[in-house]
Order: sequence, then structure tokens, then C-alpha cells
Amino acid sequence: MNVFSRAAPKKGENFELRADLNSEYRDKRKDAIKKVIANMTVGKDVSGLFPDVLKNMQTEDIEQKKLVYLYLINYAKTQPDLVILAVNTFVKDSDDHNPLIRALAIRTMGCIRVEKIIDYIAGPLQKSLHDENPYVRKTAALCVAKLYDLKPELVLENGFLEQLHEMISDSNPMVVANTITALADIHTSATSQPSTSSSDPAVFTVTPTILNKLLIALNECSEWGRVAILSALARYEAQDEKESEHICERVVPQFQHVNGSVVLGAVRVIMIHMRKVKREDFNKQLIRKMAPPLVTLLSSPPEVQWIALRNINLLLQKRSDILSNEMRVFFCKYNDPLYVKVEKLDIMVRLANEHNVDALLSELKEYASEVDVDFVRRSIKAIGQAAVKIEAGAERCVNVLLDLIATRVSYVVQEAVVVMKDIFRRYPMTYEGVIPTLCANLEELDEPEAKASLIWIIGEYANKIDNADELLNIFVETFTEESYSVQLQTLTAVVKLFLFKPDTSQGLVQRILNTATKDCDSPDVRDRAYIYWRLLSTDPGAAKSVVLAHRPPISLPRTTVAPALLNELIGEVSSLASVYQKPAATFIGQGRVGAEAMQRRGADLADSAKTALQTVAAGQASENLLDFDDEPAAEQPTGLAATQVLQQPAAKNLLSGTSTNPLDDLVSIFGSSSLSPSVPLAAPAGGAAALDPFHGFGGVVSPISPAAPAQPASASNQQEDLLGLF
Amino acid sequence: MAIDGLIVLDSANARPIVQTSFRSFPPAYPLLHINAYSSAVAKAVRPEDVDPVLLVTLPDEPTACCHLQHRSLTFLCPISGDLDPLYAFTFIRTFLNILIEYFGEVTAPVLRDNFDIVHQLLEETLDAGGHPLTTAPNALRDIVLPPSLISKILSVTGVTGPSGPSTNNLSAFSSPIPWRKAGLRYNHNDIYFDIVETLDAVVNKNGTIITSSVLGKVDVNCKLSGTPDLLLTLTNSHTISEPSFHPCVRLNRFAQSKALSFVPPDGRFTLMEYRFDPSASKPGAAPALTAAAAAQLQVQVPFTLRASLSITDHGGAFELSFTPRAGALEDVAVELYLGSGATGATCTCRKWWQRVDVRARAAHAALVPRALRLRNPRCHPFRLRAGYGARRCGARSRAGMRTRAPRARRRYRSRCLQGALLSALKIDQLKLSGETYKPYKGVRGRALGRVEWRVEWKGG
Repeated sequence: MNVFSRAAPKKGENFELRADLNSEYRDKRKDAIKKVIANMTVGKDVSGLFPDVLKNMQTEDIEQKKLVYLYLINYAKTQPDLVILAVNTFVKDSDDHNPLIRALAIRTMGCIRVEKIIDYIAGPLQKSLHDENPYVRKTAALCVAKLYDLKPELVLENGFLEQLHEMISDSNPMVVANTITALADIHTSATSQPSTSSSDPAVFTVTPTILNKLLIALNECSEWGRVAILSALARYEAQDEKESEHICERVVPQFQHVNGSVVLGAVRVIMIHMRKVKREDFNKQLIRKMAPPLVTLLSSPPEVQWIALRNINLLLQKRSDILSNEMRVFFCKYNDPLYVKVEKLDIMVRLANEHNVDALLSELKEYASEVDVDFVRRSIKAIGQAAVKIEAGAERCVNVLLDLIATRVSYVVQEAVVVMKDIFRRYPMTYEGVIPTLCANLEELDEPEAKASLIWIIGEYANKIDNADELLNIFVETFTEESYSVQLQTLTAVVKLFLFKPDTSQGLVQRILNTATKDCDSPDVRDRAYIYWRLLSTDPGAAKSVVLAHRPPISLPRTTVAPALLNELIGEVSSLASVYQKPAATFIGQGRVGAEAMQRRGADLADSAKTALQTVAAGQASENLLDFDDEPAAEQPTGLAATQVLQQPAAKNLLSGTSTNPLDDLVSIFGSSSLSPSVPLAAPAGGAAALDPFHGFGGVVSPISPAAPAQPASASNQQEDLLGLF
Repeated sequence: MAIDGLIVLDSANARPIVQTSFRSFPPAYPLLHINAYSSAVAKAVRPEDVDPVLLVTLPDEPTACCHLQHRSLTFLCPISGDLDPLYAFTFIRTFLNILIEYFGEVTAPVLRDNFDIVHQLLEETLDAGGHPLTTAPNALRDIVLPPSLISKILSVTGVTGPSGPSTNNLSAFSSPIPWRKAGLRYNHNDIYFDIVETLDAVVNKNGTIITSSVLGKVDVNCKLSGTPDLLLTLTNSHTISEPSFHPCVRLNRFAQSKALSFVPPDGRFTLMEYRFDPSASKPGAAPALTAAAAAQLQVQVPFTLRASLSITDHGGAFELSFTPRAGALEDVAVELYLGSGATGATCTCRKWWQRVDVRARAAHAALVPRALRLRNPRCHPFRLRAGYGARRCGARSRAGMRTRAPRARRRYRSRCLQGALLSALKIDQLKLSGETYKPYKGVRGRALGRVEWRVEWKGG
């Protein structure tokens, strides 16, 4: 009913507006224009009034002129023929004595993306580029970039590019800044065409002469101009070390700018040009100057903090000395949003060392008593990471965890148990004393991860725990109801128990192998049960050496991205790439090109993985394989974090090559190989993909799973560990 | 490689109020971003926990959406290409400040009423290619007329006023200094300095400061004729560290002599922000200590807080005693988050707590006793006793239903205001050159405290 009743007055409204637009009174006309614009903004169609609005274009009132221009820009696309009528006024306006009107006309003409108008723009634009008023000149500079976007030939024919290059020497810093922006825009749109060669006139290379002009303009133009100049400086290839130093020195004062974007832009320029500087004391000094402005950014609104934190996180991976004394700055305020807290925790762990571990722990303990469950869990994880990272502080970490377990808050206890498992893996045979406390909380646990962790601990220390069989029996009772991860762990733990104490647990192991092979619907669990069964029945000695083999200790990766990638990201500090900690090409346009480049960059890493594979193929003894993970794994604990932040499907697929889920690959490869006695035969066939750091671990998200890279290394004799990937 | 545009949303219904025209994009582009934002908010437990930069994947080109909340408005800023998201955020902030400067209160109805001005501002501040243009409020005022009483009266009465800025804007942008227009005239030449220091501290349950920082800000309101060149010298300038300046300040000059030399913009602006470094005031202090590490040893929190809480089956009660250390506290507010499920609170308090706000909703309950202007200069503790009800929240688990009372946060957040500066920074001298008149100078300083006080609940 209201469709019609509403449609009718709308028509009438336009009708009335038309009458007003043609009124003889100026105010009435102006009010009508305002109403038209108002209707336009709320999405009503007022395109029918085009000729009537156009009539009001010739006016002395600049405000009215602006509104008409606004209307023109909006509807030019749908009424390209009528826009021609406006051309005369545009050309006339571009000759007006008022610089504001001249600039306005040029700007609007650049915005109207209509072929017919564009042919008329060249003349006025030519004049405006040489206008006496800097405001007009800087507007015209940007207009050239827009024109290039629509019709590059026109820009080249009229020599606008050369004029832009001349304008870099303009006396007004704002004009210089806009010129740089325009040239950079043209550069980007030119290089995005695949056919562009490096000799194309549109390609903007910063030469030493331009460099000097940029450095002068840098100190005088507006904040936005500074960002543009800084990004041009970041692209500059310094001739020698001296020039790099010079650039750094000139850029350092920008750290004191109020605008955080300028500060980060300056950080980026310095990180790039610092690479060339060999003098370590000079670099140290720069790094020292970098810390205060970064810390200052942390007192800004949360969204700025977040970006600053992401960038700090990246910078710390490259230069761990930047904020070494400033851990307290990163302590969380309780009203910080979760995304800020998470980043702060990560950085705090990164900054932790033997000297500040006490302060860190008391702070983390405080967080663990917070009300926000997600944050509490992450804090407890951070305690575990600190323990893994700092050997000297591990005992204190364990004590804090015990305190937390004593609170008996369900999610705290569960998370603490998960974390304890990692500590046990890092420091085997050190903290057996806490096992009774953990076992006392058996009933509290209802999450699979916590349960699986506790069962793993029981299995690992089955020879030290007197009532291990009783405890495991609880889980065997409910075996079929549990989730698969718990089932897998129970199976392994019972087998370990059997190997430790064959006399007492014969019945238990029989029962679980029976249940697992007959009643279990997960192929993983079933297959593993069969493997164990065969192993145990053919050669218990071999089973012992497989299941109870020594495991390499885990360690916390120093970086979350590959070194090659890190270097590239450092070059893009302050950009979206550094915030997401992924190369730009994977999430902004030109995705396919990016993937290739990415693989090329990953090639050096892949090489090391290949050599490792050859070692495997050569049939080296298992001890050698264990050695292997010390070297490459220490350097390449890697690819996993490239996808850590956002599990964007596209990027994931790029990273993992052809397979959709790399972990599946991994498990299936070793699942099949484990049946055949010799791994070396199976590994080269499919293992290439699995061992390539970029392909293999793309799907691993948890930061606490640094163990993953180590595992393929020990493949040949530790199938159970591989299959038990948490 | 730039900001794609700006969308201002009404947070209440997630509908756009004003947006740039996204000329070079498909028509659905802004809608996709609005949609991405609203679905992210819908997914989040608390709207403020949504990541500030959302990745919006379009069929051919993924882009990102930066968003920022200001009261009932949401500003969305889609960006594509490898741009610094901070660039987008600073632009949004700048634009927001311009709006505040123009309209005072910025709300959805205000923007709707002044859409023509907002539109013009958008056109002037953001180029269609995505580059911010004129963002200095001074320069903008020349191009876009702010709404004024006179123009309103004129439009109502129908009298045609002087035809806007076109009469006197021949001089616009001819000034060589981007932040100051040429040819200003004032009858009284005044300049006011407002120094505000903010203490941000976290105090643990023993009353020792865990971390604290003092940030200072010098706001200036400048009404000076012509093109004055000012030289400002500070006493105690050695106590400030990590300063950041308005672009008008000559950085090299400050590096040499710690004096601020600048040609001020017209009107209000922030001249300088700094961090107070108390270790610098002590001669012979180890310079290796960084500012933040040193500050925590020195700055005193201007009050102490003692609190206790007991939780019963159906709620809880807490007691609070607040002792100002210095007598000059002016405005105090204490806030406690009682946990989700807390339903209502009642207070009994002595007369000094002049106003007690109790805000209680099902999801969030905070108790805010607020004393306006504590009149008692001596250091008496102020006591407050309160009780609240609580709904028990249950969690289903294998062992059966478990219920527990909502957990009150073990932190008080408090704000207070103090009339004296923490850093004892003073303006020593203001020299003016380039003009002949003698300006009137005014300086005011105050300190704001934002302290998070951790407490331990017994049995909580």
C-alpha cells in the first residue's frame, strides 16, 4: 500500500524542486540545490533534474557552485551527453580570477570520468600547472595522476609528465609533496600493467637530485605530504653508505612528529636505509632513537596502539634490542580491547629475559585472575612460553602455574595443564614433583586439549607414577566417548605404560587395543592401534625404542616469519603488509604474481629442506636425523606464522601450494610410511612437499606448536610422535 | 595506493549518513565494506573487541576496512593497496576533529542537518584519488563556511547576506605557511597556553606502582595578528622527554637549544606532546634508564585506595576507603566492574561522596561513586560501603550444572584531577618577533590521573 502512496509525492517533490531550481530568486534556487544534494545522499534518484541543476552552475556564489559540481560528479556517469553542456563553464572557471574557483574547476574536471570531458581538460590543466597560486598548482598536480589513470596517452602527448618532474623543484613544499604523490600514483598504475618496461616514462625513479629536493621539502610540508615523501624515500636506492647515513640523519627528526603515520613512515625509511650502513654504532644510535616514539604511540587510541604493536612485534624480530628495557610499557590496562592485550602479551614474551622474568610473571599471574576468559587463557599460555624460553625462570613459571591450579577455576586449571605439558617437553625429567597436583585435578578437566595433555604427561612418566594404571583406566573406561585427540593420547599412554610395566598392565593394553581397533570410528586411531599391536607382537624391543625414544626438546621460535620474508616486511613497516605480517602481494591485487615471487623467495629455504631430504634418502642413521633439526629447524621455524594472523583462504592456498590442508598431507604421508619398515623409501616420494617449510606448516596456527618443525626430522623412528601432532 | 573513501555510519542502524562518492569503484563497493563491518560486529562478543582493520575480500581484489567508533557514529575507511592503515586512522581522526571544530557535538542528527557542509568538508579534505588535501582547520575555514548563527538567521529571514567567502578569499592559500593564513587582524592580541598532564598508572595490591607514565600536552589558543614569530623557553625543560610537535615548530632549533621557535597557526591547536621524565631532574641519575622505567620510581599517585569485597550467594558487598595524598584533588571518580550478571547496587556512604552513580545492566555492571570537588583539604579517608545483587551464571559441563557468582574484577579504575602539574614544567618566557604589538599571555596547568588500582579479594 505504501509503495504507491510514497512514490507519488516523490514525483511531486522532484517536480517542485524543478520549479524552485528555475526560480527567479537566488535563495530559492540555492535551497533547492541543497535539497537535491540531500536527496542524492540518501540515495533518492534526482538524475532527472540534471539540466535544471546545470543551469545554476554559472554563479558568483562559490558554495552554490560547489554543490552543483558535487551533483555533476555524481551523475556525470549516467548523463555523459549532458555533461558536455558544462564544459564551457568549466573552461571559463579555470580562468577565473579567484584561485579557489580555478582549483575547484580543475579538480572537478579530473573527477568526472567521462571520455568527452577529458578531451577538453588538457588546455586548462596545462595552464593550471603553471598557475601563480600554489593551491591551484598542487590541485593540478594531482589531476594529472587522475588523467593518467583514465587516458595515459593524453598525459604523455601533452608532456604533463615532464612538467610534473619540473614541479619537484617548486618553491612551495606542498606542491612538491603533491607532485611526488602524483608521480608515485602514476608509477603504481603504470607498473601494474604487465607490459610496462623500466624505460617507460611513467616509471618514477628517485634520482640523487630529486632526493635532495625531497629532503628539503620533508621538513616543511603538511603531514600527508611528509608521508608521501617518506614513501618515495623508502623506494630510493642509495648510491653508497654515506648517502644512506645522510638520509637516516635527515629523516630522524620526523620521529618527533605528532602524526603517528609520519613516525612509522620514518621508521620504515630508516630500517630500509640502515641495511646499507655498516657502522654498528651508528645503527645502534638510530635504534635507540627509534624506541621513544614507538612507546609514545602506545598512549594513543586503541586502534593506533594495535598498529604500533603489530609493527613493534615485527621490528623486534629484526632488532631485538629496540625496546629491551621497556617491558613495563607493554603491561595491559584492563580496559584495553582484547586485540591490544593479545599483541601486548606477545611482545612481553618476546622481551622477556632472565632479568625481567619475575616482573613478567607477577604481571601474568595478575592477568590470569581476570574475568575475561579468552585473555586469561592467553596469559597462561604466555607463562608457558616464558618458561620454554627462559631456562632460568622455568621453575618460577611452574610455581606460578601451580598457584593458578590451586584456584580451581575450571578454565584456568585446564589451560595450565596444557601449558605444563609443554614445559615437560622442554625440560624432561625435571618437574616430576608437580605431577600429583596435576593428577588431583583430573575430574576438573572437560576440554579435549587439557585431557590429552594430562594423559600425555601420565604416559610419559608412567614409570614414576605409582597409580598410572588406575588413572589411565579411567580414560580407558570412557574411551569411545572421548574425542579423537584424547583417544590417540590414551592409546599411546597405555602403550608406554605397558612398555614400562609389562606385568601389571597387560590387561589394560589388551583392552584398549581391542577397543581401538574394533569399536573406534576414526581411521587415525584405528591405524595407530594396529601399528602398536604389530610392533608389540613382533618385537617389544623395537617397540620400546620407537615409542619411548628420546625426543628433541622444543624451543620458542625467535621469529614468527621466515627470515627472507621478515626482511621484506621490514621494508614495508607501517604498511598493511607489516600489520598482517604477510607479503603485500598475497592479499592485495596481483595475487598470482605474488605467489610466484613468494615461492622464489622461499626457494632458499626449500633448498635446505631438500638437502635434508637427501640425507634421509641416503639412509642415514636416526641420530643424524635428530641432529638435522638443530640447524635448519632453528633457522626455519617459520612458514607457520605467515598465516598466523588471518587465516585467509587465498593466502593459505598460495602458501600450501596445491594441497588444501597441509597437515592432512603430513599425516597421510607418515601414516602410510609408518607401515613400511623403511621411511627413506617413502619420504622422497611425497615428503618433498611436507618438508618444504612453506608447504608443510601453513596450517599450524598455535604459537605454542614450535615443535612441529622438529618432528619431520625425527620421522624415521618416531612415528607415534608424528601421528600425535597436537 | 590510497584511501578509497570515507563512510560515516549511524551505529544504531549501521546505515550510512554521509559517504564519499567512490567514483572509480563498483557501486557495491561501499556496501560490501559496511556489510563486512556489521557482520564482524555481530560476531564479536563485545563490539570494541573487533580488530580495527578488517580484511574485506572482494572477488578480484581484497581490500581492508579501517573503522573507528565515535559515540553514536562509526567511521569506515576502506583502503586498497599496500597502504599504512595508520594513515587511514589519522585521516579519520583529523576529519573527526574538523567536524568537532565545525559543529561542536558530532552526532548523527547534527551531521544530517548540516549535510551540505559535511559534504563540502569531505570534498576539500579528501581528494577523489584518495589523498588528504587541506586538513588545517584555518585554511578550511576560508573555503568552507562554518555554520553560524548569522547565516542561519539570514537563511530564515530570506535576506541575502554577503555571498560567502568569495569576497575575501583572494588571499586564501597565498600564504607561504600552510597552517596560517596571511593578513589576520585582532583587536586584542592574546595567546593562551593550557598544559595538561595525564598520569597513567597501575598500582598493585600492596600500593606500589607497577607501571606509570606521565604524558603532557600543551594546547594553545592563539589569537595574534599578522605573522608573529614566537620563541618559547621553558624552565625545567630537562624533565621532558620524547617530545612530539606540531609541524609549525622548528625541530632543529629545539634540538639545539630546547626552545620552541614557531609561527603559530591561528586558533586552537596542540603545540607539543611530551613524556615527563622525573629521573632527569636528579643530577647524576643513570642516563641508561629509559623514561618509562625511571618514571615508575618517582611519580607519586596522589591518593591511596583500600578496598574489600565479600561475595555471598546472591550478590556481594564491598567497602572502599579513599585517602587523597595531596589536598588539591578536585574531581574524583572510582569505578568497579562487578562482573556480568551483577544486577543492581545500593550504597551507603558518608556525606563527602556527593554523587554516586550506579550503572547496572545484565551484561556489564559498574559502580561509580563520584565525589565532585572534595572540599576537605586534610587527608581524611573517604569511606563508601555498598552492596549489590547478582544473578548466578551457570556453565553446563559433564559433571552437571555448575554455578558461580559473577566475578568482580579485581581492579578499580579511578580518575582524578589536580590543579598542579606533576612535572613542574613552567613557561619561562615568550618572545615575539616579526610584529610590533605586545600580546597578552595566559598559562594554566593541571594534571589528570588515571589509575588502575589492583586489589585482592579475600575468598573471591
